[in-house]
Amino acid sequence: MRKSTTQAPALLAAILLGASAASGPAFAGKADDTLNAAFSAEVTTLDPYKESGREGLVMARLIYDALLYKDMKTGEFRPELAESYKVVDDKTIDFKLRQNVKFHNGQPMTADDVVYTLNLVSSKEYNARYQIAVEWIDRAEKLGEFDVRLHMKKPNPLALEMLAGNLPIYPKAYYESVGSQGMSVKPVGAGPYKLVELTPGTRYVLERFEDYYAGSPKGAAKIKRMVTRVLPEANTQYAELVNGQLDWIWRVPPDDARNLARQAKVAVSNAQIMRFAYISINPNYQDGKSPLADVRVRQAINMAVDKPGIVKALIGGASQAIASACNPIQFGCETDVKAYPFDTAKAKALLAEAGHPDGIKLDLVFTSLPRIQAEAIANNLGKAGIQVTLNEQQYAPGISAWREGRAPLLLTNWGSYGVGDVGLSVGQFFSGTGDDLAKDKDVIPLLQSANASMDRAKRKDDYSKALKLIADKAYWVPLWTYNVITAHSKDLDVTQNADEFVEFYRANWK
Amino acid sequence: MLRFILRRSGSALILMVVVSFVAFMLIFAAGDPAVKLAGEAGSSADAARIRALYGFDKPIPVQFFHWIAAAVRGNFGHSLYFDQPVASILFDRLGVTLLLGLTSFIFALVLAFPLGIAAARWQNTWIDRTALVIAVVGQAMPTFWFALLLVILFSVTFPILPTSGSETWQHFVMPSIVLGYFAAPAIMRLTRSGMITALETDYIRTARAMGIAPRNVLLKYALRNALIPVVSVSAAQLGYMLAGSVVVESVFAINGAGRLAWESILRSDLPTVQALVLCFSLVYVILTFLADILNAWLDPRMRLADARTD
Amino acid sequence: MRAQTETIAGERQTRHLPRWMRHTGLTAGAVILVIIVLMGVFAPLLAPQDPYEQNLLARIVPPVWYEGGSWEHPLGTDHLGRDYLARLLYGARVSVFIGVTVAFVSGIIGTVLGVTAGYFGGKTDVVISFLITARLALPVILVALAIVALFGSSLTVVVSVLGLLLWDRFALVMRATTQQIRDADFVMAAKVQGASTLQIIVQEILPNVATNLTVVATLEIAQAIVLEAALSFLGLGVPPPLPSWGLMLAEGKSFILFDPWLITIPGVLLFGLVLAINLVGDGLRDVTAPDSRN
Repeated sequence: MRKSTTQAPALLAAILLGASAASGPAFAGKADDTLNAAFSAEVTTLDPYKESGREGLVMARLIYDALLYKDMKTGEFRPELAESYKVVDDKTIDFKLRQNVKFHNGQPMTADDVVYTLNLVSSKEYNARYQIAVEWIDRAEKLGEFDVRLHMKKPNPLALEMLAGNLPIYPKAYYESVGSQGMSVKPVGAGPYKLVELTPGTRYVLERFEDYYAGSPKGAAKIKRMVTRVLPEANTQYAELVNGQLDWIWRVPPDDARNLARQAKVAVSNAQIMRFAYISINPNYQDGKSPLADVRVRQAINMAVDKPGIVKALIGGASQAIASACNPIQFGCETDVKAYPFDTAKAKALLAEAGHPDGIKLDLVFTSLPRIQAEAIANNLGKAGIQVTLNEQQYAPGISAWREGRAPLLLTNWGSYGVGDVGLSVGQFFSGTGDDLAKDKDVIPLLQSANASMDRAKRKDDYSKALKLIADKAYWVPLWTYNVITAHSKDLDVTQNADEFVEFYRANWK
Repeated sequence: MLRFILRRSGSALILMVVVSFVAFMLIFAAGDPAVKLAGEAGSSADAARIRALYGFDKPIPVQFFHWIAAAVRGNFGHSLYFDQPVASILFDRLGVTLLLGLTSFIFALVLAFPLGIAAARWQNTWIDRTALVIAVVGQAMPTFWFALLLVILFSVTFPILPTSGSETWQHFVMPSIVLGYFAAPAIMRLTRSGMITALETDYIRTARAMGIAPRNVLLKYALRNALIPVVSVSAAQLGYMLAGSVVVESVFAINGAGRLAWESILRSDLPTVQALVLCFSLVYVILTFLADILNAWLDPRMRLADARTD
Repeated sequence: MRAQTETIAGERQTRHLPRWMRHTGLTAGAVILVIIVLMGVFAPLLAPQDPYEQNLLARIVPPVWYEGGSWEHPLGTDHLGRDYLARLLYGARVSVFIGVTVAFVSGIIGTVLGVTAGYFGGKTDVVISFLITARLALPVILVALAIVALFGSSLTVVVSVLGLLLWDRFALVMRATTQQIRDADFVMAAKVQGASTLQIIVQEILPNVATNLTVVATLEIAQAIVLEAALSFLGLGVPPPLPSWGLMLAEGKSFILFDPWLITIPGVLLFGLVLAINLVGDGLRDVTAPDSRN
């Protein structure tokens, strides 16, 4: 009995690998013009202002259009539902809307829909999940049937970023009748795909919207149908991808990607994304009496981690090691900061200099990060005499532990809302908010001014100064940027953007 | 009989109150819901805003009182994560899981009963030993490993069964086998030992001596007695299986209550976890209550014994 | 009753060994168990290298009998390039430790409650029986998950949570067993001689329930080990880099399709361990209480 159990999986896998080499007919996909995709995580709601998960937001961008569109290749903002826009002053933007836009229920879009949506989602009662996307809006005003003016509460350098994709426009009449709950299961937008069938938390069927307006920067959808399912178990996804029941999966771990790439019908691609990993160090841990109060100890921690080694072995793809507290593809991310190259001996020497010749012991709380990476980091730190106890936490308790000052070190990742501006990375973590435990009095004013300014040159300069200070004082160990690995059918042509959105409307069969 | 049922209903009710309190208190183990609700990208200001909005800043007894008062009226509150009433989410999920529990339980019975009876009938032979090995394998093999082996076998090597979802009866085949096999050993062992005990009793010996056919003795007389402990444990196993469905639902992408519970814990979705623990407990309490009544019907002595403890 | 107890005790002295030897299941189980325990105990001597030593340049090396394997790592390396044999040997320690400690914690709670309920009966029994039912009504996995999610995973947390949750079977069996013997002659005799309640429980009751206690303990050890594996699968088991067989199985999960030995090897070992414990438990029951088997 035991013997046969021992050999079963090896045998089965051998059969699998053999079988998949001889390519059979595809179950679905190209033949019936249907893209079968799978997510690991559940889509919570299709009322996207209420959604916090990435998967739901990806779906929302297929169903809804927004006023502007950001071209990820050039970084340019282009009008989407707007025909043109004009920044009137620091606190006012005017939009001229397209006149040929229809919602999925057939109603034409007018200024009323735009004004209604923007005023609704920025209201306190509506309670949008990411306040950062809406809190800067004072009100939207109708100037004409297709003219809208947007008033801001304060100058917001990220206004265009938010207007591009992050502020989808709803049909006023429909939303008023169904509300948020109705929208969450029967969404009506003006995007290239419309939802035709939904089993909550399980299966979503989208179909190309045939009346999609001409001139959209997104372009009309090329593939007719898209079926998205939620499959929490990765092995189930791989099994279905290999036997042709799925055409697209993402967030594949590098090891699995290597194996999938060897399969006959599977192609693997990866793209760098805005997300990056970091360790934040609390210099005021135990009221500043811990070793972490000493800059040399923090620098030693920086030097102890073999970033390039870990990136090469465990992450790969387009990922790269970083030295500053932001993603280099973000605006304002100064990369010319004090670097701490991997050097175990020097790290030990720094520790000794700081009065810890026998090393130090600390807790390392980590959350939302592959365990394997945390283990590799802990191993590196241990070699330099920094013995850390790994404490894996779920996101909420992990972040609470940090904010309440109970965690000396927090290892996690940050996606900057997919926005290419350091205002949402370093600007959030060192500007004196609850996440900022360093509370550096030189850094805070620099960031506060940069976060509120519309002057790009001045912002860039302030952020640069702040990032240099942060690196000098080694408040963080910036680790590496992430990439998303996508495994898909070889018949499918699809690209992955740096903002962690997938433009399925551009996907096509080869 | 009525007296017996009333007495048992009373204790079941008290049990529910105690369990609901435990469920409520325990839920504070799930982490700070405000931080989770703010999302991975939420700032500390977002969290503070949400805390005030949902009343997480109120004292615990106040929160419990509000909760229990609403729960009695079938209102389990508002899911933090889904931003919908918990009851509306729970209803569908619970249905799927109960269906899965039922099919798995049937599989467990179909596997365990004949094996248990055969093992008792042919004690200490190879049949008995085979049955023992089958039972121990069920106990020793982690559910997820078994589940993944089935996926490889029936979905990749021989693609005859779907791997994920719960749309058709085929979707329930593999999950039911996994979950049922997990529950079968306990039922099998009890059937076997119950049968052996029953076969040793005086009246069975008498029946045998009177020349009643061995098959009739086994099935008509011994089985009825052997059933009693099996019924009690089966109810407990079914309740246990519902909780064990967490793993199975995750592997087979079944959108049931087990998976919801696990994900809700990870998301710190306080009201949903509370409602789920309560529902699982309720199912257990109802099942054991039914099992008690079934047993009392099978064995009148039990009713009397219960009455005597006054 | 007293006479009967003496017979069993007498039988134990004279016929125990031959009977033990004749019971194949018990013998086989005991042999496997001893081997696994020895593996754990002598892990530092047997392990070819440090189980925590990573080598990111030699990850997922297959075992020696596969193409690409070598004697440098007889069972290959894991996803961090750590020697698999070394981790399995040290993992034996952790898994057995978890099983035994959990059974110990839950055994104490369950025995105290069960014996108290069984010995005193009446209201005490009603209250404790109610506690047992309430505990049974709580879904173990969910409760364990919720608690581990709060406190973060550490060996102490996992062991405490499982220990505090798995006492029900101890309590049920101890209660029933104590009820059976509380009115026995030898207990009465002790009472007459003026022994205190505590003395009676410790000197008269406990020795006589020890056999059943051992049987339940073995089963709970197995249960705890399998539950830890399930917690690990859900990402809430023992923390890294500690090697437990359950955690190794969970880590190997993502390789089941392409590098199945990463899950097969710990899987078979875990299976062997749980099988052995079950065989020993069943065997003990057969040998010490032959009545319950036939």
